[in-house]
Amino acid sequence: MLTYIFKRLLLAIPTLFLVALAVFLLVRLIPGDPAQVMLGEGASPEAIASLRTELGLDEAVPVQFATWLGRSLGGDLGNSAITGEPVGALILSRFQLTAVVVLISVGLATLIAVTFGLLAAWRQNSRLDLAVLGMASFVLAVPSFWLGLVLLLVFGVMLQWLPVVGYVPFSEDALGAVLFLVLPIVTLTISETGVLTRMMRSSTIDVLRLDYVTHARAKGLSERTVLMRHVFPNAFAPTLTLVGLTLGRLFGGIAVIETVFTLPGLGRLMVDSVLARDYPVVQGCLLFTATLYVLVNLLVDILYPLFDPRVTVS
Amino acid sequence: MPSIRRALVLGAAAMAALLSACSPAAPEPEGSVLRARLNADIISSDPGMKRDANTDAVILHVVEGLVAAREDGSVGPMLADRWTVSPDGRTYRFHLRDGVRFHNGAPLTAAAVVWSLNRYLAPDSRWRCKADLSHGGVAPVESVRADGRDMVEVRLEQAAPLFLAELARLDCGGTGIVHRDSVDAAGRWRYPIGTGPFRWGEWRHKQFIDLPRFDGYRSLPGAPDGIGGGKQALVDRVRFSVIPDGSAAAAALVRGSLDVLDALAPNELANVTGVPGIHLSSAPSLDFYGVLFQVKDPLLADPRLRRAIALSIDVGALTRVVTHGTGSADSSPIPTASPFFGAVQRPLIKRDLAAARALAKEAGYKGQPIRLATSHSPPEMYDAAILIQAMARDAGINIEVETIDWASQLARYTNGNYQAMVFGFSARLDPSLTYGVLIGDKREEPRKAWDTPEAHALLRQSIATADPAARQRIFDALERRFRAEVPAIILYNTHRVTALRDRVTGYRNWPGQTQRLWNVAREAR
Repeated sequence: MLTYIFKRLLLAIPTLFLVALAVFLLVRLIPGDPAQVMLGEGASPEAIASLRTELGLDEAVPVQFATWLGRSLGGDLGNSAITGEPVGALILSRFQLTAVVVLISVGLATLIAVTFGLLAAWRQNSRLDLAVLGMASFVLAVPSFWLGLVLLLVFGVMLQWLPVVGYVPFSEDALGAVLFLVLPIVTLTISETGVLTRMMRSSTIDVLRLDYVTHARAKGLSERTVLMRHVFPNAFAPTLTLVGLTLGRLFGGIAVIETVFTLPGLGRLMVDSVLARDYPVVQGCLLFTATLYVLVNLLVDILYPLFDPRVTVS
Repeated sequence: MPSIRRALVLGAAAMAALLSACSPAAPEPEGSVLRARLNADIISSDPGMKRDANTDAVILHVVEGLVAAREDGSVGPMLADRWTVSPDGRTYRFHLRDGVRFHNGAPLTAAAVVWSLNRYLAPDSRWRCKADLSHGGVAPVESVRADGRDMVEVRLEQAAPLFLAELARLDCGGTGIVHRDSVDAAGRWRYPIGTGPFRWGEWRHKQFIDLPRFDGYRSLPGAPDGIGGGKQALVDRVRFSVIPDGSAAAAALVRGSLDVLDALAPNELANVTGVPGIHLSSAPSLDFYGVLFQVKDPLLADPRLRRAIALSIDVGALTRVVTHGTGSADSSPIPTASPFFGAVQRPLIKRDLAAARALAKEAGYKGQPIRLATSHSPPEMYDAAILIQAMARDAGINIEVETIDWASQLARYTNGNYQAMVFGFSARLDPSLTYGVLIGDKREEPRKAWDTPEAHALLRQSIATADPAARQRIFDALERRFRAEVPAIILYNTHRVTALRDRVTGYRNWPGQTQRLWNVAREAR
């Protein structure tokens, strides 16, 4: 197992290097630079040139890349061009919040999807199946920002049960933090439930048609045992892959949810940094999310044998 | 299955650990708090250095300059209660007000003012007004010196009636005077220690800026006027919350989590209009939006084609649609709210499709595409571009709209890399400064749209002239030339609209566009 993990981590190095190179070059291909954004529309050419020098933007691109890569390998992702904050610390502080929202949401979405996907497949073509399919299709079609705004309006403005702005972190006001995170988590959970439910349902239908399920039923096992012991592990494996991909995607990509609910998370940091051409932060964020993606998928591959006995790590 | 259960338990434990480790807190400040919204975070806390309009608005609560902009665009006293100008117009002597203290308790002295001004004008400074106050600028400063404890003398290289207006510029942080402890021993910026009615509190990036009341504030007598006049902090603390999404901000205001929602976008007005407990405050701004032409472009070098485009646009209709009826149509670079907006500036360029077609034909235009760059920052610029495209089509002019993001647009504007561009300029209190964003040498500053010797000469005259009537005549001459040469088409000036909870009293908008939260009270719930 350890050798496998080590090999996978080694293979991740060229992937991450290519990501770093691509990100570095792509952000510089976009017109605009942080010096102009920081100094505003009427800044003098001298001031812009001076700030570009300070930020190291006047150096040749290969030199900039080598400098950045060298520092990054040493764990220093540089400082934000706009605020001067260390990029590593900035990313970690934002990621904590994003991770909480994403992990809880995806965890809840997975629980809901597994339950209803399994039940819908078990009662295929029944009213229950149609209702689950209909709901899954509906939430797939609803944009997350719209859903978020509707929830904000209903529970924040009309009913006044939950706060609408002013994120309060857990360390200072536990109840306030929980209340504030309810709406973003519910929004993200609902948004992610659709695709997971459909995946769980379709893979369960496939498994229910296999001979060994018929055999298990012929042995006289209860439907509950058939479903939970024989169907669920095999049917869940494809959904688990999707959960891994979803986690990887969401860790760097809930900017819309974070914007609607004014959460200072990683997605908003990345979008703001792209708009402000804050190169060090954009590079750091993308490298960080790419690393997470690799790690989450590695974790999924390691967990796979737990659910599908046909798969072994070796 | 036990493994799965264990994994779930471990997962839940990890989530709980992450939750408890979540980033530093944003405690609700104690005492009376006035909550206002910023649509984006500020860029720095250093006045006029790294900045945008949000940055200026926040900083001007903390720092004050020797003089300050008034609501009518003139300049009034602030830290200096009086000043004299030598007969040759080159020497300004500012007398500092008694009893003014910095937020750290240190008294305001002439030496502190000299230190601040020299810091702004230092060779490595990126202060926005530095170019204008340096050699070759509008009001080049030769020397700054202290004369005793409460007198500051500034000597200019030449007479410059615009010197005080430059000092009062909002986008230069009002040339805010800060204590030298605002920088560390190595000269690096820490935070502003100014003399304003609010102190610098906490800046949590992308979340909020807290400004506590400065109990030792020494106010000028009289009513508030622009950035100057009598100022009082009527709440214990001001919190500027960063809420990028307009709908979320409106929801927060309706809910009561926000007291002041400034700079409402026209398309957000409907969210708060008529809502019980909320009222609106509105004032015309000294900004302007328009279409800049690249006059070096082979096609647009011909002023007849530029004029044809101008004649194809129904400025009034465009303004009504784009600003949802809140803006003022304007064909002049001088905004309608300016005291220099007179009879020459007032007439709108009327839509005349026949004349537009004739001029385009005369210019040899054969339907070649003209690329009009725009962005969604603000969204009204995009809407304006789409309308211009449709209106110009009626005159046989083929405009292609090119939508880019703000940073790309800013880069292309700065480099002059466009054929035509919808662009907006924030409020400038003096028409010379307004014309200054348009007129310039394209070889040195490619962003300048208007580069003719006559325009340069008139702008120089306006800068060197102090008499308002004489200045009006110069601006009228500039206006006539502008309309004949059409280096740009002016479309409209916005109105600053702010939505406020009814419990908020004393808030007034003004043409300078910045939020002013001094003299604003908030009744307890």
